[in-house]
Amino acid sequence: MIPFDLRFPTTVQEALELLDQYGEEARPMAGGTALVLLMQQRLVTPQVVVSLSRVDGLSSISANGSLRIGALVNHRVVEESPEVKAGWPLLAETYHRVATVRIRNVATVGGGLAHADPNQDPPATLIALNATVTAASSGGKREMPIEDLFKGYYETCLTPDELITELTVPRPVRPLKTAYIKFLPRTADDYATVAVAVALDVADGRCVDARIALNAAGSTPIRARDAENVLRGQPLSDEVFRAAAATVPAIVDPVSDHRGSANYKSRMAEVFVRRALEKATA
Amino acid sequence: MATSVIGQRAPRTEGAGKVTGQAHYALDVPVAGMVWGKALRSPHPYALIKRVDASKARTMPGVLAVITAKDIRNVLHGRRVYDLPILAENVVRFIGEKIAVVAAEDPAIAEAALDLIEVDYEILDPVLDPLHAMDDDAPVLHPDQRSYTGLPKIPEGQRNAQSYGHWEKGDIEAGFAEADRVFEETYSSAMTHQAHIEPQGGAVWIDDDGIIHVYGHPKNPLGQRKQLAEALDVPEDKVIYEFVRIGGDYGNKGGLMDVPLCYYLSRACGRPVRMTHTFKEEFMAGSPRHPSVIHMRTGVKRDGTITAHQVRSIFDGGAYGAHKPVPNVDVGGARKAGGVYRIPNCKIESYVVYTNHVPGGFMRAPGDSQTIFALESHVDDIARDLGIDPLEFRRKNMIQEGEADATGDVWRDLYWRQCLDAAVAGSNWGKPKPPNVGRGIAITHRHIGEGEAESLIRVDPSGQITVVTGTPDAGMGAHVMEQQIAAAVLTVPLEQVTILPVGSDIMPFDPGLGAGRTTHVSGGAVNAAAEKTRDELRAVVAENRGWPEDDIVLKEGAFHLSGSTEQPVTLGQAAVEAAYGRSGPVEFLARFDGRKVFTELCMAQVAEVEVDPETGQLSILHVSAACDSGTIINPPAAEGQVEGAFVQGVGLAMSEEMILEDGRVTNPSFGDYKIPTAADIPPFTLTWIEDAPGPLPFGGRALAEHGHIPTSPAIANAIRDAVGIRLKSIPFRPEAIYDALQAKNEREPEGR
Repeated sequence: MIPFDLRFPTTVQEALELLDQYGEEARPMAGGTALVLLMQQRLVTPQVVVSLSRVDGLSSISANGSLRIGALVNHRVVEESPEVKAGWPLLAETYHRVATVRIRNVATVGGGLAHADPNQDPPATLIALNATVTAASSGGKREMPIEDLFKGYYETCLTPDELITELTVPRPVRPLKTAYIKFLPRTADDYATVAVAVALDVADGRCVDARIALNAAGSTPIRARDAENVLRGQPLSDEVFRAAAATVPAIVDPVSDHRGSANYKSRMAEVFVRRALEKATA
Repeated sequence: MATSVIGQRAPRTEGAGKVTGQAHYALDVPVAGMVWGKALRSPHPYALIKRVDASKARTMPGVLAVITAKDIRNVLHGRRVYDLPILAENVVRFIGEKIAVVAAEDPAIAEAALDLIEVDYEILDPVLDPLHAMDDDAPVLHPDQRSYTGLPKIPEGQRNAQSYGHWEKGDIEAGFAEADRVFEETYSSAMTHQAHIEPQGGAVWIDDDGIIHVYGHPKNPLGQRKQLAEALDVPEDKVIYEFVRIGGDYGNKGGLMDVPLCYYLSRACGRPVRMTHTFKEEFMAGSPRHPSVIHMRTGVKRDGTITAHQVRSIFDGGAYGAHKPVPNVDVGGARKAGGVYRIPNCKIESYVVYTNHVPGGFMRAPGDSQTIFALESHVDDIARDLGIDPLEFRRKNMIQEGEADATGDVWRDLYWRQCLDAAVAGSNWGKPKPPNVGRGIAITHRHIGEGEAESLIRVDPSGQITVVTGTPDAGMGAHVMEQQIAAAVLTVPLEQVTILPVGSDIMPFDPGLGAGRTTHVSGGAVNAAAEKTRDELRAVVAENRGWPEDDIVLKEGAFHLSGSTEQPVTLGQAAVEAAYGRSGPVEFLARFDGRKVFTELCMAQVAEVEVDPETGQLSILHVSAACDSGTIINPPAAEGQVEGAFVQGVGLAMSEEMILEDGRVTNPSFGDYKIPTAADIPPFTLTWIEDAPGPLPFGGRALAEHGHIPTSPAIANAIRDAVGIRLKSIPFRPEAIYDALQAKNEREPEGR
């Protein structure tokens, strides 16, 4: 690892000032589970690391109306939160499925999103649940739909002086029918070969609204809008699910690697979208 | 003789220290002033080194020493064949080969200094395919091979061979002429890592007498001392391999790796120096299990009688043979290509080949998992294609007591049939099964390690027994085994036996870990030393009291005169008498010769799997295993060996694979190289055949080496049983299963 300065701001404002001051030379670090690995591999070589470990005010969860999760809340807390489990069970389930408990105890919600690794678990679920993120800089705040955050492999729309401060998930009008499925043919702690999150708003046996997203199927999490369109307004049936899933291979863009060829992953994306729909409505 | 402590679930002598973090491994040893060494490694699989300039690194603030090949006695070294230089000088032969090392107070400074070392390379075309390496137009990677010390017998003109094995029996052509059908297939296996949790490393401190203290992985302290002394050209008594714990070995860690560099850096900077692989270095430059390509051709009669069996095995040995510990520099399992079967005409050829990959080393039953995967898959296809039940095929062809195997070895005291039957009995074999579920059998045999060892037992006046041991314990429970043997022979509770592990300077002779020999040989030595202690103290008691020696019985730690009310004499009292009243301890040293035994162990497994035809995902539902353990001294240690090996077998089948692209390991971390997690382990039924007396103390048989061997072929055979496809390469990638199923569906459209 290349030597660097380690700074410990205690407020969001101080952290933002440091990021503003050092710009491209600085990297914020929350849990450090991803950044430290990248630094060890010298893929990222910041001169200044702005540790967020002593920053106050970003470590709570509230569920009055929408769910608001501070960026420094770790995965394990989300997974175990009674409010999250009660109102957004898919989110608790998804954070529970991330890596291992050792990682989840350290990795934070904001840090994970900022890392923008398309193989991660939460993004697809957050897209399915219509979440938004708030990013702050010395210049102010902005809020965006979660799917707008991701721009490419390890790449977000955040500028170097911006910090994710909060994640917001709207409370659904009525309980959604949801599922998150990871295809893990090798080991339980592996990254998924492909993963799918679905959230269906169903009334009278008919799909009122559908949100479907995939992880590990391209350079960013991918929203399956064509599949959603097939479902919207339709009665739930195997035929509809198959028709929706059939649209998926055309919109995914996976890489060939040791988890499988691009062609195989595309086919698996179709299979697992269908299975996720079946699971959500079972 | 009271043997109640034999079979007791005794806790590890070192267990508390390990779980509380107090145990010292190589890097934990607190030596004052210790500094860090880091290595500059080749980024090219094959290149000439035109220039190395370390001058900028030498002057960097905080750097204590920089060593290149020109700064040291850069000899070739190795465990048998000496083909590995301490540092690359004129040529690099794999990505990760060391060119220079730096010592600094801080590892970050050492690493930063590596960036300042300039190396000019002339890049050469690497040899990456072991089959191509044998072709006449392949570059010769070791042009000076014929001059290497320890060179095994290799046929003249055999290009890039590290070693060659050849076994022949009967008349192979006549055997094929006799056959009704001939089956032929090629199988392969991936390069895999031992995945010991402690990476390879070490520390060296040179004291004021010039004694070189090594804190490494003392799995064979006397052997490693000899290797190091020779490489450094110092007398053996100037080197001490100190006792430290070993964080897993699995057959690896017997070489010198970075220890000579710690020495040279230490000598250069006057400070103790430690080096350790990061896991990335461990994957790129450790000493992994050899990948294989194994071709089998077998002639059979219609009734399943084998008439001829021909095998050609190619193992990718990587850039150097130095890490392999056996005289023929082979992977021993190649010879087992005839398995447990009666084969009258057989020819086996095995090559380990030089390539520009990371050099291979030894891992648990080296060569066996590759060879038995091929054989047991092949045999299963033969049985099924002949319409014979695979279990019946194995029963029919398995050699019997006193018969010769495929290479002509005659085995006795066999419990193979019992193992096979017990493994089947513990499974659902023969019962109805749901769609896409299948069952497969595989079986292997394995020798019991041989060798000589010594043990020293000390008896204090208090009666406390100390076993001064040189037996390494890489986590298998060797020390509790020694404690239980000594306690059993001397009829004392376990707490009355202290295990004192010591370094190479004062340890009794021990051959080190390997080949499943520890309980046989080192345990045998403890048994012998305990018996000697008992017998000599009994003689003293008899003489001092005029008791007839034959009437003296040792029980509950005291000598009793049978049928009398005379006061018994405790071991402590006897020790004082043996020392003529001296208040110090007495010691008894015994040597044990654990000779070759002409029996072979067995491990049989039956796997039940389910294949998801839509995705190719494989789920292992259950595995039943049986092995001929004989008497078990410590059940948790025995279970740990076989269950732990089984987990490695699951890894070989399901996920473990070092992926090589252009000579580079592309998944050098446990994030991408996947070993099974607890959640991935299926229910496992293990049946011990304990009524199987063997040569180990108290009638045991070895069980460390073969728990993983049948797992991958049993799973492959279960896949065929489930969905009718044959996987010929481990690990079984889900996409390979998916593709094979697609191809099968095209061949045999639905409805047929």
